[in-house]
Amino acid sequence: MRAVEDALGIQIPNNARIIRNLIEGIQYVQDHVIHFYHLHALDWVDVTSALDADAAATAQLAQSISDWPNSSPAHFQTVKDKLATFVNSGQLGPFANGYWGHPAYKLPPEANLMAVAHYLEALDWQKDVIRVHAILGSKNPHPQTYLVGGMAITIDPDSESAINADKIALMRKLFVKAKQFVDQVYVPDLLAVASFYKDWAGYGGGLGNFLAYGEFPGATGDLLLPRGIILDQDLSTVHPVDQEQITEYVTHSWYQYEGGDQASLHPWQGETQPNYTGPQPPYEFLETDGKYTWLKAPRYEGRPMEVGPLARMLVAYASGQPRVKQVVDSVLQQLGVGPEALFSTLGRTAARGIETAVVAEQLVPWLDELVAQMADGNFTVVNTDHWDPAGWPAEAKGWGPMEAPRGALGHWVQIKDEKVANYQCVVPSTWNASPRDASGQPGAYEASLVGTPIADPEQPLEILRTIHSFDPCMACAVHVVDGQGRELTRVEWEGRM
Amino acid sequence: MAKIAIDPITRIEGHLRIEAQIDGGQVTDAWSSSTMFRGLEIIMKGRDPRGSWLMAQRI
Repeated sequence: MRAVEDALGIQIPNNARIIRNLIEGIQYVQDHVIHFYHLHALDWVDVTSALDADAAATAQLAQSISDWPNSSPAHFQTVKDKLATFVNSGQLGPFANGYWGHPAYKLPPEANLMAVAHYLEALDWQKDVIRVHAILGSKNPHPQTYLVGGMAITIDPDSESAINADKIALMRKLFVKAKQFVDQVYVPDLLAVASFYKDWAGYGGGLGNFLAYGEFPGATGDLLLPRGIILDQDLSTVHPVDQEQITEYVTHSWYQYEGGDQASLHPWQGETQPNYTGPQPPYEFLETDGKYTWLKAPRYEGRPMEVGPLARMLVAYASGQPRVKQVVDSVLQQLGVGPEALFSTLGRTAARGIETAVVAEQLVPWLDELVAQMADGNFTVVNTDHWDPAGWPAEAKGWGPMEAPRGALGHWVQIKDEKVANYQCVVPSTWNASPRDASGQPGAYEASLVGTPIADPEQPLEILRTIHSFDPCMACAVHVVDGQGRELTRVEWEGRM
Repeated sequence: MAKIAIDPITRIEGHLRIEAQIDGGQVTDAWSSSTMFRGLEIIMKGRDPRGSWLMAQRI
C-alpha cells in the first residue's frame, strides 16, 4: 500500500491516517496478548503444576499484583477444577503435548494457576476487542477496506453502514476494554513471570543490531515509535535508516541470482528465482554448508539485523521517546535489572509487553482525533488524484516501510506501463529467521540460540523460549499431530559423539 | 555432542525448522530454515499495482 503510494506520490487524507493507526494499533494489542498467553507463556508456565496450587493462595498472589476484579479464590478454584477435569480425562485439550515437568520450569504452582486462568480469559477478551477490525476493516484477519490513496470505509453520521456515532461509541468501549486487560492482567503477569526467570536476561541476546522503520504517524508525520538503527548494543547512538542500504543474499537460500550466489541485491533489483538444492524428504538433516532455507538473507550495510518489539523499544528508548523511556525504566526497576538486560530472550518478551502498554493507551486518543475530524465536518477518507493510471508516469518506483507487530516490514515496487514490473517484500521473519549470508554471518535466530543452556536435548524447551520470544507466528508446542493423530513433529538426534 | 532438528516449529504461514548443535549442555551453533516457498513476488508481476496490497496482505 505505502510502496505504491510512494511510487505514485500520493498523500493520504488525515482520516485515512487515523483509521489505519486504529486498525494497526488494536492489531498490535491483540497480537501481542495472544502471543504472550497462547504462543509463548507455556514455555515458562507449567500447566500441570497448576493442579498443585492452592486457590486461596493464588487469589492472594493475583490481588497482590493487580486490581483485576476476576481474582477471587472461587474463580481460581473453578479454573483448577476445569483443568483437573481435562487432565483426569486424559485429554489436555489446548494444553496437550507440552514439556510438562521439565526442570527448566521455575514458577510456583500458584503462579502457574494464575497464568492458566488468564490464558483462558485472554481467549475471550481477544475475540471481543478485535471487533474493531470488523467495524473499520470489514473483517479480520486481512481487513478489506484499504485503498491506494486512503481507505474505502466511509465516514457518515447519517449512514448505518459508515463510521458513525454508534460505531465510535462501540470502538471506545472496546479500546477501554483492551487497555484494561493490558494494564491489569498482561503487564502484571509478565512482570510476575519474569521475576522467576531473570537468568534469561543472560541468554538469547543474539546479534545486538536492531532495525526499526518506525510507526504510527501523527498529523505532522512524526512517528509515535521512531525510526532508527542500534548497532552492537550501543544505546548511546541511534543511526538513521537509509533504505538504499538494504540488500538480500541467496548464498544459503534455495534461490539463484543471475549475478551468482555471492551477489546481494537491493529489493528494487530483487530476483525471485527458486532453486531447490536440498535433500528429498524424508531427511534427517539439511545441508547447512550449502543452501538450507526458502528465506533470503536481508542485510543492512552488510549487517544482519533483529527486528520486532525489542528493536522498536530500543530505538525509541535510545531516541528519548518520553513515554517509552518511562515504561522501560519502570519495568527495569521493578525487575531490578539494568538496560543491558534488554538484550536477551527475557528483554525481547518484556519489550513486547512494554510496547503493548504504550500503544494501548493511544487507542482512545486516536479515536478522539477521528471524532474531532467528524465534528469539523471532515469526512474525506481517500485521495483519488492519482487513481487513474492514465495520469501515472511510464515508470515509477516506491518503498513502503511499516512496522508490523512482529517487526520492520518493507515492500519495494517498480511500476512500468501501469503494471507491476517488480515487487519484493522483506518481511519481519525474513530478517529474524534469516540464514547465513555470503560471508557466513548468521541471522537473528541463529545468533540468539548460541549459548542457550539445554537441560535435555530430547526436550529442547529452552530453544523454544528464545525462538518464541521473536514471535515468529508459531503455535505453542512443537508436538503437532495431524487429523489421524500421527505425530508430525520430530526432534531428531545424531548420536552422542 | 549432539545435533538435533526441531521441525516443524509451527507458524501460521509456512514452516520453521531449527537445527542445533548441542555441546556441554548448551547450543553451540544453530541453523534456521523456512521449509516452504512463498513466491508471491512472482504472482504480483504484471498485475495492477492498485491491487498489490490485497495479495501482499496474505503474507
